[in-house]
Amino acid sequence: MPDEIYFLCLLHNVGATSSERSLTIDEISRWTLMEYDKIRENLEKLIKNDYIHVDFSGGAERYHVSVNGIRKVLSMYS
Amino acid sequence: MKVCMITWEFPPRIVGGIARHCLGLAKALVKQNHEVHVVTLDFPGVPMFEEVEGTKVHRVKIELGHPNFITWTLIFNHFLEKKIALLNQDVGFDIIHIHDWLTAPSGMASKHHLNRPLVTTVHSTEIGRARGLRSPDSYLIDGLEWWMTYEANKIIICSNSMRGELEDHFRLPPDKIAVIQNAIDAAEYSRPVDKEVVKRRYRIGPYERLVLFVGRLVPQKGVEYLIKAIPMVIHQHGNARFIITGDGWSRSHLENLAASTGCGDKIWFPGFVSDSELVELTISADALVIPSVYEPFGIVALEGMAAGVPVVAANVGGLADIVEHDRTGVLTYPENPESIAWGVNKVLSDPEYMRWLIHNAKKKVHEEYGWETVARKTSEVYEEVSRR
Repeated sequence: MPDEIYFLCLLHNVGATSSERSLTIDEISRWTLMEYDKIRENLEKLIKNDYIHVDFSGGAERYHVSVNGIRKVLSMYS
Repeated sequence: MKVCMITWEFPPRIVGGIARHCLGLAKALVKQNHEVHVVTLDFPGVPMFEEVEGTKVHRVKIELGHPNFITWTLIFNHFLEKKIALLNQDVGFDIIHIHDWLTAPSGMASKHHLNRPLVTTVHSTEIGRARGLRSPDSYLIDGLEWWMTYEANKIIICSNSMRGELEDHFRLPPDKIAVIQNAIDAAEYSRPVDKEVVKRRYRIGPYERLVLFVGRLVPQKGVEYLIKAIPMVIHQHGNARFIITGDGWSRSHLENLAASTGCGDKIWFPGFVSDSELVELTISADALVIPSVYEPFGIVALEGMAAGVPVVAANVGGLADIVEHDRTGVLTYPENPESIAWGVNKVLSDPEYMRWLIHNAKKKVHEEYGWETVARKTSEVYEEVSRR
């Protein structure tokens, strides 16, 4: 499984699936135990493919899995 | 009867065939005077409760998460179980009906908590999907599947090929299993569609032939064998164009593979396509290819047959039950690009043969694969387990 898809699954499984439950890079790092650079690299790829959406609130960028991203994750296990 | 149907996917949360199966079955059960409550997971932009043609759909927000998929599954089952217990106070369910291992923990817990019979539909197994048990997760899922079949008062499967798989692997007694084939709403596939307009949306000209794949982009679906067959089809039918719909974790690998064939400009990957668009695409196709390496049923074959599209399917699992070679479609050797190319070329080359297949296939779908039949047989299962 490509790294970014594994990362997408992590975000989905921790519940970051709507703007109200979106996470900052700090929070993502705490959940996934990944380094910031790796997180940014994965996020970039996933945003480009419309699997992740970005919001700006509370002075920080927050990320959550999009509808397409949810379908991508679920397709692995169905 | 008051049925509590538990599923992790229900439209518009559509991943594979389970969502469509649950919707079709629930609607048909309602028509036969059952009260059906579907308990499922939430999805962005969809109400937490709605009534879909008589079916009551309860969506549950999952308040906790976990990076590990299986742990997450156990967590969401806990929330489903709580919802079912609350609903039961008002409804008083007669039957708990689950679909696959993903909702097994809440189904089994509800069986004991509510003291109601449990019916399980097994759409596929981990050992089949993963083509063997090779990882700790696979072993865990396989164990859950065994537990689910052990706890179920009756197991429903969708094809004869699954019977052997379940009896052998889970050591199940034959009388615990009922084979109830899947169904589709064939009327949906007989609506008038301007094929030229649909093809144009995908930059396909009126004289170009559309070869379609519909499904998840995962190894189980065998798309790589279709892609490897494409140059052999193009060699004989230079005007063939290929649309590979769906998404999945092997999508980028498949896109790279398509580019490497030298026919990349004739292959499109539109990603997830809405249900209504999918119906139009299917009706507009000149051939529908199902190259699966594991397919317990293969509802997409029925959709193609109902839409009047010649089906070229791998001779595996439930597909071999549905498609009669040279009569309602063409069966090819699994995992064999040469055989797939042969099948596609065969239907594209002979319009008379194509018409013969379509005629027989449509007749078969209308006669044998209606939701009314599935609902009637499912009701019989409900009655059987309730009597015990």
